Amino acid sequence: MAELSPKEQLAFHEFSVRYRAAYAKKHPCPPQSLEVVREALWGEYEKEQEANRGPKIETPKIEPPTPAAGREPNEPDQDR
Amino acid sequence: MDDLIKLVKTYRFTAGVTERIPLAEKIFTRIEPDLRLFVFSSVAHQNAQDVLQEVLKAVATSLKQFQGGTEKEFWAWCYRIARNKLSDHFRKQATDRIQTVPPEDLWQMMDLSAQDAPISTATRHDLEYAMKLLTASKPECYDFLWNHFVFGRDYGDIAEERGMSYDNVRMKIGRCLEEAQSLVKNTALVA
Repeated sequence: MAELSPKEQLAFHEFSVRYRAAYAKKHPCPPQSLEVVREALWGEYEKEQEANRGPKIETPKIEPPTPAAGREPNEPDQDR
Repeated sequence: MDDLIKLVKTYRFTAGVTERIPLAEKIFTRIEPDLRLFVFSSVAHQNAQDVLQEVLKAVATSLKQFQGGTEKEFWAWCYRIARNKLSDHFRKQATDRIQTVPPEDLWQMMDLSAQDAPISTATRHDLEYAMKLLTASKPECYDFLWNHFVFGRDYGDIAEERGMSYDNVRMKIGRCLEEAQSLVKNTALVA
């Protein structure tokens, strides 16, 4: 099985460093990519906030008192 | 320039999203070109942008969970995420794998790098040899050699993502190299 000589290893290392540097120079991080990152982080933050709030507790609805249909208003107490 | 791993560690201990975002921008300004190269050298260009976006989202939303302490570990972690996203993509579109980069494109990049760091004659000779090995490799070897020698990924990481043993990856890369060396030698003899 082939083993790289130190000289060959250095050649690959030099190539890798130069290739990546040249690529970064040719294609610097565009604003669209940072926008994708920002959106992802806001989305994640909102999910966290929602999880921290916990499940919503169902509260019974309190209806305002309404006069029962057909029920007559109380008579004043005549016997008192 | 800020130390990448320091930025990542600071990010990990930052709670508020408004404080996290500027840190994330600094981190991604540094890592995006390498992730772009990784994706664009694996997937056909018409789909590469979509895959890259998925990679960026995945890295951004997992950044707080990164547990490592060195830049090497951080890169390995980023490439693992990127490779997982590429695998998802290839499951849907198996024929979308990209072919080797032509030697003239590689030279173009070397010449671009020479604008900032001039290339001596001896280095030029070494670079030529490295590029010949990469471009002479067979298609099934190309990905292994690029992952290991260009992206600097170690045998363990490549083995993990491919479900291979460490030794099998080491031997595979060795064999690929041997074949490429032999092809380069034969080409030189013919010339």
